[in-house]
Amino acid sequence: MTGYIIRRILQLLPVLLISSAGIWAMIYAVPGTPIGALVGENATPEQVQAAIQRVGLDQPMLVQFWAWLKSALVGDLGRSIFSRDPVFDLIMGRAPATLQLGLGATLVGLILGIPVAVLSALYPNSWLDRSLSGWSALALGVPTFWLGILLILLFSVELRWLPSASTYVSIFESPWGAIRNTFLPALTLGVYVSGIFARFLRASLLSEMKADYVRTARSKGLKERDVVGRHVFRNALLPFVTVVGLMMAAFIGGTVVTEAVFTYPGIGRLLIQAITQRDYPLIQGVILFILVVHVVINLMVDVLYAYIDPRIEYS
Amino acid sequence: MSEPVLSVRGLEVTFTGGGRPVPAVRGVDFDVYPNEVLGIVGESGSGKSVTSLAVTGLLPETAKVQGSIKLADVEVTTADREVLRQMRGQDVGMIFQDPTTTLNPVFTIGRQVTEGQVAHGQIPAGNARGRGIELLREVDIPDPTGRVVQYPHQFSGGMRQRAVIAMAMAGRPRLIIADEPTTALDVTVQAQVLSVLAKRQADTGAAVILITHDLGVIAEVAHRVAVMYGGRIVETGPVHEIFKRPQHPYTVGLLQSLPRIDAAEERLVPIRGQPPNPARLPTGCTFHPRCPIGRDRERCRTEDPALREVVEGHRSACHCVEEVAALLADTATPARAPATVAPQAAAAQAPLLAVDKLKVHFPIKAGILRRRVGWVRAVDGVSLTVNAGETVGLVGESGCGKTTTGRAIMGLIKATGGSVRFDGQEVTRLSPGELRKARRNMQYIFQDPYSSLNPIKTVGDIVAEPLHIHGIYEEMGGAKRIAELFELVGLPRTVLGRYPREFSGGQKQRIGIARALALQPRLLILDEPVAALDVSIQAQIINLLQDLQKELGLAYLFIAHDLSVVRHISDRVAVMYLGKIIEESEKTTLYETPVHPYTQSLLSAVPVPDPDARHTRRRIVLEGDIPNPSKPPPGCYFHPRCFRASDRCRVEEPAFTPYPGLPTRTACHHAGPLGASS
Ligand SMILES: Nc1ncnc2c1ncn2[C@@H]1O[C@H](COP(=O)(O)OP(=O)(O)OP(=O)(O)O)[C@@H](O)[C@H]1O
Ligand code: SF4
Ligand code: SF4
Ligand SMILES: [Mg+2]
Repeated sequence: MTGYIIRRILQLLPVLLISSAGIWAMIYAVPGTPIGALVGENATPEQVQAAIQRVGLDQPMLVQFWAWLKSALVGDLGRSIFSRDPVFDLIMGRAPATLQLGLGATLVGLILGIPVAVLSALYPNSWLDRSLSGWSALALGVPTFWLGILLILLFSVELRWLPSASTYVSIFESPWGAIRNTFLPALTLGVYVSGIFARFLRASLLSEMKADYVRTARSKGLKERDVVGRHVFRNALLPFVTVVGLMMAAFIGGTVVTEAVFTYPGIGRLLIQAITQRDYPLIQGVILFILVVHVVINLMVDVLYAYIDPRIEYS
Repeated sequence: MSEPVLSVRGLEVTFTGGGRPVPAVRGVDFDVYPNEVLGIVGESGSGKSVTSLAVTGLLPETAKVQGSIKLADVEVTTADREVLRQMRGQDVGMIFQDPTTTLNPVFTIGRQVTEGQVAHGQIPAGNARGRGIELLREVDIPDPTGRVVQYPHQFSGGMRQRAVIAMAMAGRPRLIIADEPTTALDVTVQAQVLSVLAKRQADTGAAVILITHDLGVIAEVAHRVAVMYGGRIVETGPVHEIFKRPQHPYTVGLLQSLPRIDAAEERLVPIRGQPPNPARLPTGCTFHPRCPIGRDRERCRTEDPALREVVEGHRSACHCVEEVAALLADTATPARAPATVAPQAAAAQAPLLAVDKLKVHFPIKAGILRRRVGWVRAVDGVSLTVNAGETVGLVGESGCGKTTTGRAIMGLIKATGGSVRFDGQEVTRLSPGELRKARRNMQYIFQDPYSSLNPIKTVGDIVAEPLHIHGIYEEMGGAKRIAELFELVGLPRTVLGRYPREFSGGQKQRIGIARALALQPRLLILDEPVAALDVSIQAQIINLLQDLQKELGLAYLFIAHDLSVVRHISDRVAVMYLGKIIEESEKTTLYETPVHPYTQSLLSAVPVPDPDARHTRRRIVLEGDIPNPSKPPPGCYFHPRCFRASDRCRVEEPAFTPYPGLPTRTACHHAGPLGASS
């Protein structure tokens, strides 16, 4: 297994290289440069020229990319055009916050979604199933910014239990502070994703219920709860973890709207800011980070697969 | 007799929901006693499985159940969920058909085998491992301690089914229901599984209901038999009575459509027509449209006969029981058609098909670079000949390379080595265009009549297709030719415009045959052409194939796993094991005097539809499973399972040579008839 993981990581390198080139090309294809914002409206042509040279935009694109790549290979992602801070530090400043929110949201989604799916599958097409399906539809249908504002109105303005503007507090430093600050945004995203989880898992459970081994399990005299909760659930989990992985990766890649509503310091807002300012190194760095997150989560999903399904062997 | 374990009275099951109600079971009565095996036979759709699911209360909610099912003091039809759950596993255990899907792939065998007992509080969860080992040992699984923590995919088919038996018997239930427990298994493995089942029954004294369509298995293990047709039991009685003095025309029909491994019959007597569709059952006696006695009788058309006792313990549902015996006598001496074809006459000339040392190896690829890490030796040196107008049977267990051989001969798969000469022409080196021409004379018929016909074309177009491909549709007579082909295979011209889904399995196989005959081939390669069909339909197709051969002078290479069918249809037979032919001979010699230990074991494992043979036949139950063809054992491939293996066998591969005194060729260092040298 370790060998497999190492090989998978090695296979990543060409993927990252090609995607970096792609991102670079895309950034340049988008009209506009950071220079205007950098030097201000009243700058003289000389000032503009100097700024262009300072940032390195006078070089041919391939040369620029090559320079970036060389330093990226040793972990230096360059500096932000505006703040002059190292891009790596900027990202690392936001990453833990984003990670905490992403994991929190996924957790809330699972806690809400799994029981809904299991109950629905236990009594398919009953009134319970129908009301739960209605609930998932609602969770999916409500826009997150709307739900976020509602939650702020309820928990912060009315009840005054939680702060309306969230800051990042690490769960390792102050668990209580972290929960207070992350709870509302995580709940907002979690409710939404629980709708996706519940629908997907219900469908997956119901299709597994038709399998022959279910009849076998029943014929042994297992309780229906165990037939569904153990035999069926474990098999239905396989396609489900893929979806959970995808959603988690999406959250960790940043959730612009929710971060904005709660003024949460996540990667999503950093990216928006970088894009509006045409802060090329920062855009490149953040997108690279999101890519790595996706790839790592994908790898985790694969490893989880092998753990859930003994037929899968990685060697 | 003691109290019955199970008592079923007036059982009716109707599926509602979606269209018209389907009466799947219509008034079934039976009892099962401790230590007894009740065999239930019947063709597909006769209600066997539905009856067994009703007994365990496992039918879906769309099923309406009426009547009474009394199982160990529980009235199943009215009991609540919890009572039924307690009953399952403790009072009744079930064994299902396909061991590849009946086990949960993500849990260990040990857990699945003991789970029922844990759920019923019979053993504490902490002792499950030990109990699992014990249970696996009881069903003769080697190395139970190592095996108990393995997963189903690490078990072979036969071992999985033994694990399922262990699971069903774990809680020592008083009744075991086995629904086609060996249908998915090879004969040698079937023999192992049946003997394990019998052993466990003897240990526990359970009652067993064995559901199968295989009359051979019934004759071998059942004490009493119930024959089902159209959702009812039409005949029931002790096994000897059923086989020796059947009292219902349907039972007689089943027995007569069965090819026998223990006799050479000229011609089968099939039951006419199709099994009924439960949604549209015939009026009166449901068998009347197919019945040789009652087909035209008013009473049979209007009045459903009751199940009445004919002799003590033997009951039949037929208005005309007295006439059934005559039916039997009638065909006891079947109008033996004189053996018209004389394949020997043709043998003097060069053979039509000559296969020499044919090899097909498939690469095994692994890793990211898909490097080749080994070879699967699917076909590893096969030599055989087929003469004009002759049938050669190719038999062997699953995975031995039969189908690959057939496909390589057709040029559908590239041969790795060896030669295939058809009509003097080397086929393996032909260009694709030449190969297509050669295929006009050589056609292939597939096993599965369901998927081999294009569903969006009319059957007329399907049969005409090969003519169009070769651009000879007009030349061969166009629409008239197509109509002739349909008549040839016994289908009316009126069906030409219909689509495949409107036909039954047997009819689809007829259409497949018509398509293969369109180009007037001289050789047909038939790959398991009757394996998917019910006995009565199988007999119809076998007869058709024999008639066509006589009429058109066709040669057949008949690939099958069913040794009885092969004996019936072939002139010569070749037996394959792990990619090689290990014995080949004239049919009667091969079946009466086999000289290779594998052929001998294979033949002894085939259940014979004669309850008397149970005690007289000698059984060789092979140990173990067929080895992996990518890692064949050294020396003789068969040595790990062979009862004659010597040190020489373990190192030296035997050559395929003529056996003195018989028209046989075999590959064995110690070949010889049974009883002579072993
Ligand atoms: N869940 C179901 N819903 C509707 N009809 C059903 C259902 N299960 C079985 N049937 C119908 O009941 C009839 C009897 O089916 P059953 O499975 O008992 O046949 P069988 O004798 O076991 O046949 P086979 O040899 O093919 O297993 C069939 O026509 C089948 O289509
Ligand atoms: S009742 Fe009539 S139709 Fe039915 S089996 Fe007897 S003779 Fe045949
Ligand atoms: S060669 Fe030896 S091992 Fe092989 S079949 Fe003959 S006796 Fe058995
Ligand atoms: Mg069945």
